[in-house]
Amino acid sequence: MTPSPFVQTPPAANSTLLEVHDLSVHYGYGEAATKAVQNVSFRLAHGEFVGLVGESGSGKSTLGFALTGLSKPPAHIEKGRILFGGKDIASLDAEQLREQRHGGIAMVLQSGMNALNPVRSIRNHFVDIFRAHGHVERSRWTARATELIGKVELTPTVLDRFPGELSGGMRQRVSIALALSLEPELMVFDEPTTALDVLVQHAVMNTIIELQKSENFTAILISHDLGIVLESAQRVMVMHEGRIVEDAPARQILTNPQADYTRMLLSHYADPRAEVVELPGFADRQQRRAEGAARTEAATHTPTVSPRTRRTDQHAMIVENVSKVYPAPRRGEAPVRAVDNVSFTLEPGAALALVGASGSGKSTIAKLITAVEKPTSGSIRFGDLDVGTLNRRHFRKLHRDVQMVFQDPYSALNPLHTVEYALTRPVVNFTGLTGTEARRRVLELLDIVGLSPVEEFAAKLPHQLSGGQRQRVVIARALASDPQVIIADEPVSMLDVSLRAGVLALLEDLREQWGVSLLYITHDLLSARVVTDNIMVLNGGAVVETGNTAAVLQNPQDDYTIRLLDAIPNPRKDVA
Amino acid sequence: MTTSLPPTTAAIRAPITSIDAAASPWKVVLRVASTVWSNGKARIGLVMLAVFILLAIFAPLIAPYGARETGFERSADGSAAHWLGTTAAGEDVLSQLLYGAQISIFVGLVAGLLSTVIAVLIGLSWGYVRGFGADVINFVVNLFLVIPGLPLMIVIAAYLSGGGIGMIIVVVVITGWAWGARVLRSQTQSLRSRDFVTAAVFSGERPFRIVFREILPNMTSLIVGNFFGAATAAILAEAGLEFLGLGDSTVVSWGTMLFWAQNSNALLTGQWALLFAPGLCIALLATSLTLINFGVDGISNPRLREGTKK
Repeated sequence: MTPSPFVQTPPAANSTLLEVHDLSVHYGYGEAATKAVQNVSFRLAHGEFVGLVGESGSGKSTLGFALTGLSKPPAHIEKGRILFGGKDIASLDAEQLREQRHGGIAMVLQSGMNALNPVRSIRNHFVDIFRAHGHVERSRWTARATELIGKVELTPTVLDRFPGELSGGMRQRVSIALALSLEPELMVFDEPTTALDVLVQHAVMNTIIELQKSENFTAILISHDLGIVLESAQRVMVMHEGRIVEDAPARQILTNPQADYTRMLLSHYADPRAEVVELPGFADRQQRRAEGAARTEAATHTPTVSPRTRRTDQHAMIVENVSKVYPAPRRGEAPVRAVDNVSFTLEPGAALALVGASGSGKSTIAKLITAVEKPTSGSIRFGDLDVGTLNRRHFRKLHRDVQMVFQDPYSALNPLHTVEYALTRPVVNFTGLTGTEARRRVLELLDIVGLSPVEEFAAKLPHQLSGGQRQRVVIARALASDPQVIIADEPVSMLDVSLRAGVLALLEDLREQWGVSLLYITHDLLSARVVTDNIMVLNGGAVVETGNTAAVLQNPQDDYTIRLLDAIPNPRKDVA
Repeated sequence: MTTSLPPTTAAIRAPITSIDAAASPWKVVLRVASTVWSNGKARIGLVMLAVFILLAIFAPLIAPYGARETGFERSADGSAAHWLGTTAAGEDVLSQLLYGAQISIFVGLVAGLLSTVIAVLIGLSWGYVRGFGADVINFVVNLFLVIPGLPLMIVIAAYLSGGGIGMIIVVVVITGWAWGARVLRSQTQSLRSRDFVTAAVFSGERPFRIVFREILPNMTSLIVGNFFGAATAAILAEAGLEFLGLGDSTVVSWGTMLFWAQNSNALLTGQWALLFAPGLCIALLATSLTLINFGVDGISNPRLREGTKK
């Protein structure tokens, strides 16, 4: 075909691989149905790499499942057509759909690493597929499996191992290889790296991008993380409340986003290394400090409205040469040194970030500080309490002042107790208030964390709340005892980007208003930059770098810190 | 579109005026009841169980004759006067069946309840404590688990002979709690590592309250399931012991009916109803309890509950 400069070639009919026309997917029927996907239309050309971005509940996964014919009741296609190579997928029956999977559409799931059968070796997983589709001769099974496993950068020895012996990243690679084994024309990746550790995430994502280039399949990457998508995809579709609000080339989304929603998502990305970091709801830290000082000066004449004035008898949390060794996971292996000779002091009112990839020991430190675990050696002191050897009976003394915000708001609240119950218990236990007094305090706490109307929220059960609302309840519970120290263990990693800023701003606000000191545990350097003053980088249980947050991030000394910084998806990297 | 910032502490509004009391426990009971009722299978089970209980309670009114009333024609087939025939001793089988329901249901519910209570107390504390205490409980539970149930039951029953119904309940409870305790212990162990349990520790809760207010409600379906399982096992064990003649054979229950039917070779004389009727009743009672279990699942899983509303 000779390209003509005069005739604008329309996307030729034969190059269209997938066409979605006015598709709506509903959960349930009639009035009460949840309209997860509404009137979505788009086309995919052969060999395209398209990102599908949206927050939880935007319908992106529902759309992905509909495309692969994997919708489960009560989800069903209300109207519209999905044409894959000219055939309407919705009209296929189960058997036709199964045959279609060879050379058709494959899907890699978020929990793909858990999709492997724990009692079957990796080889058997491949054999199952070869046998079901009969597209590989029996004599070539091993060769083909080896080839596939090589494509995802694993060694052939992996074939004889069992899923339980592989790490999360390796298992996700195996499930990608399994999806590839049917030589699909279209691969749908549904949050393929979300459940993985930051550094692993980066590596797996690179593999996917490389594979897409070498195998030349068409790919849809579904993700909540605009950063990851912009880094890898050529075209990006932004989904919001069941509709595609923007569909444009990646570069255009970055430089000239059209939809308000896209702009909002983009505003939550910034480079933690920048001189000035601003997120919605957060002015730059230095700037804020200056303003804050001015504000306090101005406010000296007016009496404070807050009922809780800053305490005078605040204590520092002093951690000295602490190590924690866990017994060996299996016989013959070395014991696990989770925390290795760590010392630091958390001053009253200070904000310290504890940063590292998973397995770096940061959560273990949180457990040690809160006396949930005992250190193997070293001492932890808080005021006159020796936390390291604290007896269970004296836990209340410690937890009156040291509270924790958990990572997963979905498991940190008892599903059977109302919000009111969850908040009443610490109020009763720590402040001695009872009856209506306690209830008044509970409602006050809900008001502080911005959940109003308070009475409505008090009566709710956790499953009636969104992730962000749950996390606010968890924060309110941590505040119930009026603590001096709050330990926040990845408080926003399970939340949508747009909710993160709100929760972080709340934490920051509380810290400034109440003079609470904050130990912020995270792998997310950007959020560490906006809420903390000092940072400690952990690798393999040991501190590798420490100092002022902005200074460390702008001028990292340790190799590991640099790797962590590089793993952050930064859409503006090549534009700036 | 940015997220609205939460109000700051300074923005605490005027004191909250209306402060209602917390939800009453009766509402919770009602909620649980309606949850179970909303499940079709559970509804059938509840109706069946209710019928059995009503028949048992009103047996003196419904039954055509007394349970121990003799003097009718011996080993008669079914007739208008005796729907299910008579026994070898000349008693009315239908009347015996109705009165026998009293014993079976009573033993089933009481023994099931007692062994569940023991299983809950031991299983939950066993799952929550660590160290030496857990090892001691482990030893005791294993002891009860490795001894074969039926022989143990027979030995204890023979030792306590002549105790009647009370003795049978004791025997069933002693031999029946260990399995439930082990199941509940493993569930407790998996729940105790959940964040909300740690959070309860941070809320200043005492271990006792953590176990029975935070962990226990999350195992409701398991516990209730365990109760219905234990009740079923108790009904079967009671029938089994009486059938072997280890109970008080002068009491009329489904088990003793089977015992006497076997003694008089009812099948050889063609009186199938004598064996079949109590056998079917035992099976139906067990089935009703199992059906109720389907509805119980919704209690500890609110999402499942919403799914049933459609």
